[in-house]
Amino acid sequence: MPGFDFSNYNRNAALHAQGMPLPKATSTGTTIVGCIFDGGVVVRFSAIPLRPSMNLFPHPIKPPLSMIAADTRATSGPIVADKNCEKLHYIAPQIWCAGAGTAADTEFTTALISSQLELHAMSTGRKPRVVTCMTMLKQHLFRYQGHIGAYLVVAGVDPTGTHLFTVHAHGSTDKLPYVTMGSGSLAAMSVFESKWKAELTQEEAVELASEAILAGIWNDLGSGSNVDVAVITPEKTTLKRNLIKPNEKVPKQQSYKFARGTTAVLNEKIIKKSEIGRYVSVQEVPLESDKMEVDS
Amino acid sequence: MADRYSFSLTTFSPSGKLVQIEYALNAVNQGITALGIKATNGIVLATEKKSSSPLADQKTVSKISSITPNIGMVYSGMGPDYRVLVDRARKVSHTGYKRIYNEYPPTRILVQDVAKVMQEATQSAGVRPYGVSLLVAGWDEGIEPDVEGEVQDTEESGTKKSSKTGGIHKGGPMLYQVDPSGSYYPWKATAIGKSATKAKTFLEKRYSEELELEDAIHIALLTLKDNIEGEMNGDSIEIGIVGAPADHLLGIEGVEGAQGPRFRKLTPQEIEDYLTSL
Amino acid sequence: MVGKDCVAIACDLRLGMQALTISNNFPKVFQYGDVFLGLTGLATDVNTVSDLFRYKTNMYRLREERSIAPRTMANLVSSSLYERRFGPYFVSPVVAGLDPKTSKPFICGFDSIGCIDFAKDFIVSGTASDQLFGICEGLWEADLEPDDLFETISQALLNATDRDALSGWGAHVYIIEKDKVTKRLLKGRQD
Repeated sequence: MPGFDFSNYNRNAALHAQGMPLPKATSTGTTIVGCIFDGGVVVRFSAIPLRPSMNLFPHPIKPPLSMIAADTRATSGPIVADKNCEKLHYIAPQIWCAGAGTAADTEFTTALISSQLELHAMSTGRKPRVVTCMTMLKQHLFRYQGHIGAYLVVAGVDPTGTHLFTVHAHGSTDKLPYVTMGSGSLAAMSVFESKWKAELTQEEAVELASEAILAGIWNDLGSGSNVDVAVITPEKTTLKRNLIKPNEKVPKQQSYKFARGTTAVLNEKIIKKSEIGRYVSVQEVPLESDKMEVDS
Repeated sequence: MADRYSFSLTTFSPSGKLVQIEYALNAVNQGITALGIKATNGIVLATEKKSSSPLADQKTVSKISSITPNIGMVYSGMGPDYRVLVDRARKVSHTGYKRIYNEYPPTRILVQDVAKVMQEATQSAGVRPYGVSLLVAGWDEGIEPDVEGEVQDTEESGTKKSSKTGGIHKGGPMLYQVDPSGSYYPWKATAIGKSATKAKTFLEKRYSEELELEDAIHIALLTLKDNIEGEMNGDSIEIGIVGAPADHLLGIEGVEGAQGPRFRKLTPQEIEDYLTSL
Repeated sequence: MVGKDCVAIACDLRLGMQALTISNNFPKVFQYGDVFLGLTGLATDVNTVSDLFRYKTNMYRLREERSIAPRTMANLVSSSLYERRFGPYFVSPVVAGLDPKTSKPFICGFDSIGCIDFAKDFIVSGTASDQLFGICEGLWEADLEPDDLFETISQALLNATDRDALSGWGAHVYIIEKDKVTKRLLKGRQD
C-alpha cells in the first residue's frame, strides 16, 4: 500500500471548485477503550520453589493482561451506515487494535501493519512485539501528516510483557494503563476514571470495559448498537463479538410482504445455469504439450 | 551501468541450449535430496539436514519453511539462494495477493509467482539463475476433487458441465516442483536432489492413490532412509506436513471463520515417534 | 437485498446533470461472472469503474481459472478504491452474489474510499439512499422467497425514487438464485 494513486486528485479538486460536493467517507464515530489489569492474582509465593531464584523475590505468578473494547456503529454524516460493524482489528494473534476515525483508514492501516508484521515475524522467527506494531503505525501515520484519519488503541501481549498504547492520526502516541478514544471517549473515560483499578479479575475488567463502551453507546450520538470485547492473555486472545446487545430491533408484529404481482414488469429475462451453453460455447483445445515447453 | 555487464549472463549456445541453466540444474543435482508425497488428506515434505561437521549446531538449521499458513516449501541445491526465494515468496504472497483480495494465494498462483522470479533470473542483465529446485506443498480452499466428481455425476442436463467455463476452483492438496529455468510441474509424489532418480523409482513402487497422510509420512521416511548417509533421528531430518487445520496454533478464539494453519513442521520429538514406529 | 438462498440487486435508469435528465436508459448494475456490482455516483466514474472491474475480473478468471467469488470481489473493490484514497472515484458500489462454495447469499456496500459495509439484510447507495434506508428498514424481512424478494426490493426502490427528484425513470431488478438469474425491467414514473 505504500503508493497511493493521486491521478484523480486534480480532477476532483477542479470538480469540487465547480461546486460538486466531495463524497462522504464512512466514519466509525465510535467509542473505543483499552485497559490493563492484573487478572486477579498479582503476588503469590509458591509453596515449593520451582527454581532456587524464584523465592528470592515475590514474583507475580501471572503477568498483567490487557483488553480492548468497542461499540459497533459506523456513520456517514448523520446516517447510521452500519449497525453492526467490526472495530476490533486483528494485527497478530496477540496484538489487536481498536479503530476510530475514518473507517477505511483504520481498516487498511491495521491490515497493512498486520501484513508487514507477519512477514517480519516469519523472517525473524520471533513473535511480533506491541512496541514494534505501535512504532510502525506511528511512522506510517506521521508520514501522511494526519491525512490518514486513523485513531487507534493498540493492545497486546508479547515476550516482553503486556502493553497498551494509543496512536493518533498525526503520529503521536501514549502509553497508559487505561485509555479511551473516539467521539465517545469522554463518556467512556468518565467510567474508567471513577472505577478502574489495577486489581481486577478478568470478569471484572470485561464488565468495566463494557460499562465504558455502554456509556458511549448511550451518551454519544456517534456510537451505538453493541459491545465488542477482546481479551488478550499470554496464552491466547478471546474475541467476544457482540458481547452485549442492548439495542436489538423489536421484531415486526406483522409481515409487510407485497402480494406477488404487485410490481408492473415490462420485460423479463431468465438465464439458467444449465442453459449457459446457449450463450457461451466451450471447445476443448488439443494440448500440444510436447511442442510447447523446452526444458533444458 | 552502461559500462558494466548490462547483458544477460545466460545466453544461448549454438546448439540451442542455455548452459547456465544446465549448470544450475547440476548444482541442484548435487544437493541434498528432498521429497514430497501427496496424500488424499494432506502432503508431506521431507529432507535430510546434513552437516559437514559434527560441531555444527543442528538446531538452528531449517530447510523447510512455511510461506503462508497453508503453504510450505523445501529445496534442493544452494541454501542461500533458497532463503532469498523464501523471502520473495512470502513477500509476493502478501503484496501481490493478500493485500488485494484479503486472502492468501492458492498454491498454483504462488508457484507461478515464484517461478516468475526464477525465470527472470535467466533473462535479466547481470544475474545468474537460482541454484535451487523447490518443492511447494499447499492446501487450496475450494471444491475437493472427490466431491466434484459427485456433483458432475448428478448433473443430467443436456449440456455437459465443463469445469473450464466455470469457474469453481479445485481445492485440496497441491504439490509442485519449480526448477531454476522457471518451469513448474504438478506431482503426486516426487524427489529432487542428489538421489532423486533412485528416490523416484522407490516412490513409484510405493505410491498409491488412496494414501492417507500418515501413510505418506511413513513412505517419506522409508524413502529417506534408503538414501540418507548418516543416522536418522529427530535432529538429522526435517519434515513438514500439510494436513488438517491446526486450530491450536491459531492463538485466537471467537473469530468467525478463522482457521488454524494447515502447514506445520514436525518437531524433532514427533519425528522420533514416527521413526520408532517405522 | 438478501433473501432465502437468493439475493437481489436493483438500480434505477436515470442519467442526469443536476435537474436535467439526459437519459432514461443508464443501468448501474453490472455482471461479472456470477458476481454483480452496482455503482452509483458520477456517471463518468461509473463507466470507468465498471470497465476497470470488467478488466480486473477477466484477468482474475484467466489467471485463476475460476470466476471471482463475491467476498473476494468485495475485497478487490475495497483495495482498488482505497488505492485512490486521496483522489477517489465518486462512486459508492454495492456487491451482490452467492458464495460459489456454500451458495450462501452475500451482499456488501462501500463508501468511495473502499470501507466495506458487510450487511446481513440490505445495502443502499446513491442520491435516494436516505429514503431507501427508511423504506428497506421497514419492508425487509428475513428469508424472503425469490418472488417475494422481487416485490420487496422493487417496491422499496420505486417508492424511494419517487421521493427523490434525481432518481427514477424505470428500474432494473436482478434476482440471483443458485441455478438461474432473472432480470426484470420495471415500469416506473418518467417525471
